[in-house]
Amino acid sequence: MMNIADVIFEQTYRFDELTIDLDQLSRDLGYEFDDLPEPFAGYLEQVVDDCRHLTDICGTYRLMDCVHSGDGARTVMAGNVEFKVGKTIANELLRAEKLAVFVCTAGKTISEKSAVFLKGDDPVLGYVYDIMGSAITEAVGDEIQQVISREVSLLGEKITNRYSPGYCHWNVADQHKLFSLFPAAPCGVTLTASALMHPVKSISGVIGIGKNVVFRHYQCDLCNMPNCVYRGK
Amino acid sequence: MNELLTKLAECVEFGKINKAAPFPPQMKGQDGADEITRQALDSGVPAQDILGEGLMPGMERVGIKFRENKVFVPQVLMSAKAMSTAMVHLKPYFASGEAKQKGTFIIGTVQGDLHDIGKNLVAMMVEGNGYKVVDLGTDCPAEKYLAAIRENPGAVIGLSALLTTTMTSMEKITREIKNAFPETLVAVGGAPVNDDFRLKIGADVYAPDPQGVVEFLNTKIA
Ligand code: B12
Repeated sequence: MMNIADVIFEQTYRFDELTIDLDQLSRDLGYEFDDLPEPFAGYLEQVVDDCRHLTDICGTYRLMDCVHSGDGARTVMAGNVEFKVGKTIANELLRAEKLAVFVCTAGKTISEKSAVFLKGDDPVLGYVYDIMGSAITEAVGDEIQQVISREVSLLGEKITNRYSPGYCHWNVADQHKLFSLFPAAPCGVTLTASALMHPVKSISGVIGIGKNVVFRHYQCDLCNMPNCVYRGK
Repeated sequence: MNELLTKLAECVEFGKINKAAPFPPQMKGQDGADEITRQALDSGVPAQDILGEGLMPGMERVGIKFRENKVFVPQVLMSAKAMSTAMVHLKPYFASGEAKQKGTFIIGTVQGDLHDIGKNLVAMMVEGNGYKVVDLGTDCPAEKYLAAIRENPGAVIGLSALLTTTMTSMEKITREIKNAFPETLVAVGGAPVNDDFRLKIGADVYAPDPQGVVEFLNTKIA
């Protein structure tokens, strides 16, 4: 039998396969969806139509054994790689037996398109592409999370929420270790020396797996970022 | 005050670019910043007054509303577009020296970082409040800021960073600027930056939003 920990799952998604919250996007633009004035309504429609042509939306994950050793209160081990996740996230992952490490991206096309319009003569359209890119990235994260959840539930296991380097005292530089667990450029995503992912619309992180883990919504009172994307999720 | 200037301020405040623009809905069919600036110039209003009494008050109101979360990024972008459309008409007057900006602000996202929406918003708002803005773009090493200061003596510098990893680069750049030009004022900002960090690296001001740096400039330069 193939060892599950050695399989890397990678999947591209079509825009229509994702759940995008257009109400939230409208609110990011400053309006309720039903009251979206021109040119925003037209721009949003145009961007949605255009996104249907995207072919580089992608999510990938790898399952690793999760070992709790050393400074267990602040770190977790994915195989023999140590993540200094900090107290808060370590606590959420305490009962995890496995970790899914993931990378998700809305792809190069939308990240570049947004940049072109933002720098060019239609920054508003560029901004609509920008927030759509962020929404797509998170929607891929949601999909990957569901795939993992379905997969491990067959073994009677559960998952935690997803946690990313750069949040809750987990240093963003740990992304270098996270990327070392994948072949070069998972889903086409690369990492700069300063731990910035290319394309820009990408996220990375871990999900805890085990019979006794609990899925908890983010504990936002521990963080002071008022308009964080994960607030209340 | 001249009625045209009052209207112009409203065009900037609400992002009315020109007559053809559908936005904002409540100003549909009315003249926008483009037409009104032309009319003001044609009727003899000095370019300096158009900037100082029309465009700037409009932009200031946008900055305050943005700080108070009453408007969002797209509305600011619309206002900035209205502003820059008007500025096209005023350019010759700045070139001839007949109209003057208050001072120069040099802004860039620090080395290792590629985020630019936040930096662009700051640039637009500062420009809209009557300053000349030199935008160095993203991923800027210290040398780039130093060269820009040499070209624009007396300018204030703005550094933007969105990742904690690139805040180290912000620290290094601030120190190099202060070593070479001790008198140069440095403003810092970006989501992970705060005032403790600003103090630690020896920068002069931290602001969580563009209006903060505008107010700083207005006290230091204008
Ligand atoms: C949307 C978002 C995303 C999106 C899009 C990212 C993108 N770059 O396009 C997605 C979901 C893809 C994402 C991914 C990640 N993100 Co993110 N993201 C955000 C979020 C919610 C908003 C960023 C934004 O667009 N703001 C809007 C712009 C207009 O605001 P701004 O750039 O901050 O600029 C304003 C002010 O800061 C100020 N300002 C800016 N510059 C300057 C300069 C001066 C001189 C002054 C005075 C003021 C000033 O004025 C601007 C206008 O008000 C922030 C949290 C937040 N609320 O800010 C996190 C945030 C930036 N992300 C963060 C992190 C960690 C990440 C990831 C590393 C997570 C991960 N491991 O996957 C990745 C990295 C992506 C990459 N490419 O490397 C951290 C970064 C801090 C850190 N720890 O390093 C933040 C701060 C969240 C947090 N709670 O910690 N992210």
